[in-house]
Amino acid sequence: MRAYGQLTIAQLRLFGRNKQVLFFTLFFPVFFMVMFGYLFSGNGSLSIYGGLIDLDQTTESKAFVAALDQQKEILKLDSETPQADAMEKLKQGDNQMVIVIPKGYGDKLKAAMASPEAANSEHGIVEVYYDETQAQKSGAALNAVSQVVDGISKSFLKYNPVVTIEPKGIESLNLKYIDFLVPGIVAMMIMSNNLNGVAGQIASWRERGVLRRMQSTPLKASTFIAAQITARLILNGAQALILLLIGSIGFGTQMNGSWALLLGFVIIGTLAFMAIGFIIAGLAKTPESAGPIAGFISFPLMFLGGVFFPIQSMPAFLQPIIKALPIAHLSTALRQIMNVGAGITQLWSEGLLLCAWMIVAFIVASFTFKWE
Amino acid sequence: MTSNLQQHSDQGETIIDVQGLRKRYGSFTAVDGIDFQVRRGEIFGLLGPNGAGKTTTMEMIEGLRQPDEGSAKVAGYDTRTDLGKVKTVIGVQLQSTSLFELLKVKEITKMYASFYEHTVPIGPLLASVTLEEKLNDRVKNLSGGQKQRLAIALALVNDPQIVFLDEPTTGLDPQARRTLWDIILKMRDNGKTVVISTHYMDEAQLLCDRICLMDQGKIIALDTPRNLISNMNSESAVEFRIPEELQWNDERKENLLSELQQLSGVRIAEFRKDTYVLYTDDLQQTLTDFIDHCKAQDIQFADLLTRTATLEDVFIHMTGRSLREE
Repeated sequence: MRAYGQLTIAQLRLFGRNKQVLFFTLFFPVFFMVMFGYLFSGNGSLSIYGGLIDLDQTTESKAFVAALDQQKEILKLDSETPQADAMEKLKQGDNQMVIVIPKGYGDKLKAAMASPEAANSEHGIVEVYYDETQAQKSGAALNAVSQVVDGISKSFLKYNPVVTIEPKGIESLNLKYIDFLVPGIVAMMIMSNNLNGVAGQIASWRERGVLRRMQSTPLKASTFIAAQITARLILNGAQALILLLIGSIGFGTQMNGSWALLLGFVIIGTLAFMAIGFIIAGLAKTPESAGPIAGFISFPLMFLGGVFFPIQSMPAFLQPIIKALPIAHLSTALRQIMNVGAGITQLWSEGLLLCAWMIVAFIVASFTFKWE
Repeated sequence: MTSNLQQHSDQGETIIDVQGLRKRYGSFTAVDGIDFQVRRGEIFGLLGPNGAGKTTTMEMIEGLRQPDEGSAKVAGYDTRTDLGKVKTVIGVQLQSTSLFELLKVKEITKMYASFYEHTVPIGPLLASVTLEEKLNDRVKNLSGGQKQRLAIALALVNDPQIVFLDEPTTGLDPQARRTLWDIILKMRDNGKTVVISTHYMDEAQLLCDRICLMDQGKIIALDTPRNLISNMNSESAVEFRIPEELQWNDERKENLLSELQQLSGVRIAEFRKDTYVLYTDDLQQTLTDFIDHCKAQDIQFADLLTRTATLEDVFIHMTGRSLREE
């Protein structure tokens, strides 16, 4: 028991004092989080900047401006700037659209109301200039303006819709890419830290005779491994917590599920990948080859296993393989817990598969493990 | 007085009993069926060149390697059946153990102590290897000699009966080696049995009560350093070179060697690399005879020196090869 405690503390000291490793094992996932977080943050909230020029200045044109104002969540329109400047900004890319209400808009509208039959030939025209190279934003912008125009047209024509939509707001989760990303990054960190860390460290200790020196004492292998596991669980738990805090404070990621369940999956994941690390340590003939072998395994897993991209977006022929990967289950489980607050009833299959990986890997490791 | 008597009678008691130990790696036989006994309280040296099987022998006694044949009993415990007990009575310093560089001296000692039930206090232990001022230094900041002394302290942490030191002074500077020798001699004074391997003959000669000379997995001699040398029946060696010998043919060289063999007092005459070595039990007679012979034959010699025979000479005499690889 004393040996277990001392070995655990020693391992934690080694972690804590190896500043470079500590920095990079934490920096790497944080770097990914920040980079991808900013890169894809545009998808969540869409704002369109543009200019609004009212050349007509009639009651009708002002009604149109007021209607546009209702869309101000999306359309950030500036009506102060002169038309020439607004057009220049559009060309520079600072504006995505410029809306111009030409002179005579109000008169034409009144004429159309007086004789609806003539409305098709002689109606109000609002000019919308947009940037063709920004298809996505322009599309959204035109869509927003069309809605306003539709509304005005209908009201002027006393249009009485047969079918109406009654909007009933339900509490939506409003998830962003960062909410998808953070659990994936936590899973990635657990995988790479344990796979690379265990494989590299054990292989190097074996090479340097550290393991054999311990073998010449009454220390039991089980005590040694138990201490390794404990120290790594503490380290990974702390690192996962730091990542989640950065995500929560820096990016406002959501945590809708149970912390206990999340911790449970962090523990199973750590154990499963540690066991795989022990296998690699057994297979690697030198500490120099342990790193590349671990990298060879962890790198594809990082991209296939639902860390950065949804598993559903992977090619169909890869799906059966991906669904067997431990990283896929870990990232899915963490994501389900954090994003939609899934409980153990929804996640038992992920938990079971990870446990299976853990058990099989530990059994294989016990056969391939070498003290020297 | 009583303790003196006690110690004296202990000298004869066998503490390690090795019977027919053999270890093969594939077709290579590292240790080829060796027998020997180590007595309680002595410093027992395993001396031989690299690859002689010293480390493999030690590791089989420590229980780190399974012998293919034979057995080793340590303090009465068989390493095959009672390894757990063996581990509690031995302390081990391995040839190339690197310690945890980022731990402090005090921390790593405490960690190793935690592996044992019975341990000695850490402060006095580290003082005994003159590391008391380095308690709070990280291992990585220690010098080579200090690291080696720490490794020895770790081998003593469980107050073992037997301490195994595998080439403890390899790679150390002369000053650090001497410090380590003092520590090893002090260990014997404290009643420890020490098994040490080395390929430095001066070290073996100075430290060991008995030396086991090993070569190619076999024991070629086992005795006290003094007996090993005197058994050669040659107390002195005469060395010289003959510069013109480069132009000689093989026949001429062999003729000279047999002539040298005939000189009075010469036991063995050998030619090694570029030097002739004459082992003699009568230095004065041999030298006079040698100089007369050279005069008569008109042989020009150079770099003449005489010295007492060493373990190195014993080894070369017995194996025809040098202890250190050229």
